[in-house]
Amino acid sequence: MTKLVPLVIAAAIILLSCRNEGKSRTGGTGVDSSAIPQGRLFIERIQGATRVEVREPWQNSGGRELVWYLVGRDSTLPPGIDEEQVIRVPVRRMVCMSTTHAAMMRALEADSLIVGISGSSLVYDSILLERIRSGGIKDVGYEGNLNRELVISLEPDLVMAYGVADPSSGSNARLAEAGVKVFYNADYLEQHPLTRCAWLRLFGLLTGKERMADSIVSAVSESYHTLASMAAGAEGDKPGVLLGAPWEDVWYVSPGNTYIGRLIEDAGGHYIFSDMTGSNSVPVSVESVFRKASDAEIWINPGTADMLSDIAASDHRMASLSLFRGGRIWNNRGRIRPEGGNDYWESGVVRPDLLLKDFISIIHPELLPDHDPYYYIRLE
Amino acid sequence: MNSSRTRIAAAMTGLVLLMILLFMADLFLGSTRMNFSDVLRSLFGHGDPGDEIIVMQFRLPKAITAVLAGAAMSVSGLLMQTLFRNPLAGPDVLGVSSGAGLGVALTLLTLTPLFTLPSGSLFSGWGLILAAWAGAGAVMIVIMTVSARMRDIMTVLIVGLLLASAISAVVSLLQYFSNEAMLRTYVIWTMGNLGNISYPQIRALALATAAGLVIAFMMVKPLNAMLMGETFSRTVGVRMQRTRIVLLASASILAGSVTAFCGPLAFIGIAVPHIARLVFGTTDHRTLMPGVALCGAATLLASDIISGLPGGGHIIPVNTVTSLIGIPVVLWIILGKTGLGRRF
Repeated sequence: MTKLVPLVIAAAIILLSCRNEGKSRTGGTGVDSSAIPQGRLFIERIQGATRVEVREPWQNSGGRELVWYLVGRDSTLPPGIDEEQVIRVPVRRMVCMSTTHAAMMRALEADSLIVGISGSSLVYDSILLERIRSGGIKDVGYEGNLNRELVISLEPDLVMAYGVADPSSGSNARLAEAGVKVFYNADYLEQHPLTRCAWLRLFGLLTGKERMADSIVSAVSESYHTLASMAAGAEGDKPGVLLGAPWEDVWYVSPGNTYIGRLIEDAGGHYIFSDMTGSNSVPVSVESVFRKASDAEIWINPGTADMLSDIAASDHRMASLSLFRGGRIWNNRGRIRPEGGNDYWESGVVRPDLLLKDFISIIHPELLPDHDPYYYIRLE
Repeated sequence: MNSSRTRIAAAMTGLVLLMILLFMADLFLGSTRMNFSDVLRSLFGHGDPGDEIIVMQFRLPKAITAVLAGAAMSVSGLLMQTLFRNPLAGPDVLGVSSGAGLGVALTLLTLTPLFTLPSGSLFSGWGLILAAWAGAGAVMIVIMTVSARMRDIMTVLIVGLLLASAISAVVSLLQYFSNEAMLRTYVIWTMGNLGNISYPQIRALALATAAGLVIAFMMVKPLNAMLMGETFSRTVGVRMQRTRIVLLASASILAGSVTAFCGPLAFIGIAVPHIARLVFGTTDHRTLMPGVALCGAATLLASDIISGLPGGGHIIPVNTVTSLIGIPVVLWIILGKTGLGRRF
């Protein structure tokens, strides 16, 4: 039981400290880097290779940085670089430890390179599901329950993993000891939706589809900024937005400086906990969230609820919220599979502009009268 | 004799006052700041609507639940300690709490995939409560069946412990194969919760607690006889087999119901009977029974106040507070001059 507590905390943790001050080193590509805040991923061209650096690859990693060199499959190694730090590109066989990684591969139409995935039941994309069904993509289990023999037998060029804590003792570390290259992706820790989307460029470099990745990132960024400036022009007060759901007596409040807080503000809303900053979500008593929520008009992501009655059943006190009667409660469950896949966590990562559009139509419906939310459903 | 009677009367009065005081404090000291007068006005229905909801929907049910659960768990612990003549026995030794946990785990972790994603009341509110109740009830029936066939009470204790271990193994297995969201719901359930309980649920909990307590109070005489050992009990006419089953039923109803509504509340059932023995200086169940109930209610109220970290807006699980209060008390007793064992 106690073993689960860190897992719970890790699951409750959302997004780490800001690194916006970092100077972009992404020159020479088609992406307007000024439009996308710098995150944890740094890409630099050097002689004969592309240097990829991930700073703060997991929560509280204490200034750690992981460096990889992407070198062409048949090229000779540039001097001073160790083969251990090299990923030969384009990658031919990849294992994705997160569905978001698979979603990025899908966006680049490189999904045929995926040979293994973690948590196949959480996949939404129909093409990926078909590949899983036909055996082209194997389910490798998940961290703590990883089928290491299967991973090794799949002979992947790369395992795209993510760290929730120092992975030196975990299954992924055992894989790395067995000679498998394990890349710790930190996209889920990024605080700006566009910064998260820009991790697509890494997948572009890995799969030899750099141009395609850059053009997607540019288009998404442009569309995001256009939508955000439209929302900035909305008239009247910014409607207050409540986010998340209580777990018995506790409400894990996501701080304001996070991915979703950003989406709310960019959509012209006011996140009621925007003044709270920090790297981790904070356990707040339901009583104080309730009090603060009296100013809110809109409720987003109320847990796993599909109907208003689900909310009332899991916590009857929530039915006394004034916004409960207002009916502006939306959940990110517009595109889900009965098995558990949710497209919000999948293609949503690559399409923050579409997410923002949903948020604007929820918060300022007058601005987008014809938009039918894509990822969101209204609870009735 | 007289002095001990005065002591008991004084302690009982003190505890009643303390409990009332803590009950009021629990209403006034929430995790958000509220004036004394606003709380009072809200209690009598003349407050600001926002304040009224906070007091009537959040704080009052929580305080009532703390009283009920505190009393029930502690009395259940007292019954177990006397029945097994073991100072370390508690409501969870029979596996009743584990049984409740199994009911919840089965509902959350296995039924969920069958019914797609959690939706509807099966996975919340009454659904979980009924599942926990069913789990606790199933374990209770097993234990009572064993108890009816075995003469030796230690065999029952061992069967209970084995059952609890087996159940936790099954729960671990279920956890191993379940997804993150369900795991989180389950883990948070295990941390204990006094707040998310509606008035109809409180009524059900009150009814179950009352039933368990009435049975327990009726067993005061045989309990006192049991302190002298089984042989003595038999000679004074206590029908051991029947008494045991009634005591097990009472303890299970109390612990099972509380666990169903509030999750497994740790430690209070083991620690509070010792606190009460210390306060009253007696092992007489005529005094201990009400004394333990009062001490239990007061302890859980105090834990709840602390867990709300008054005014700070944050919260820590009530279970952690109960353990942190309970452990030093038990240590103090064990290390004190009169060792734990001598009080039996």
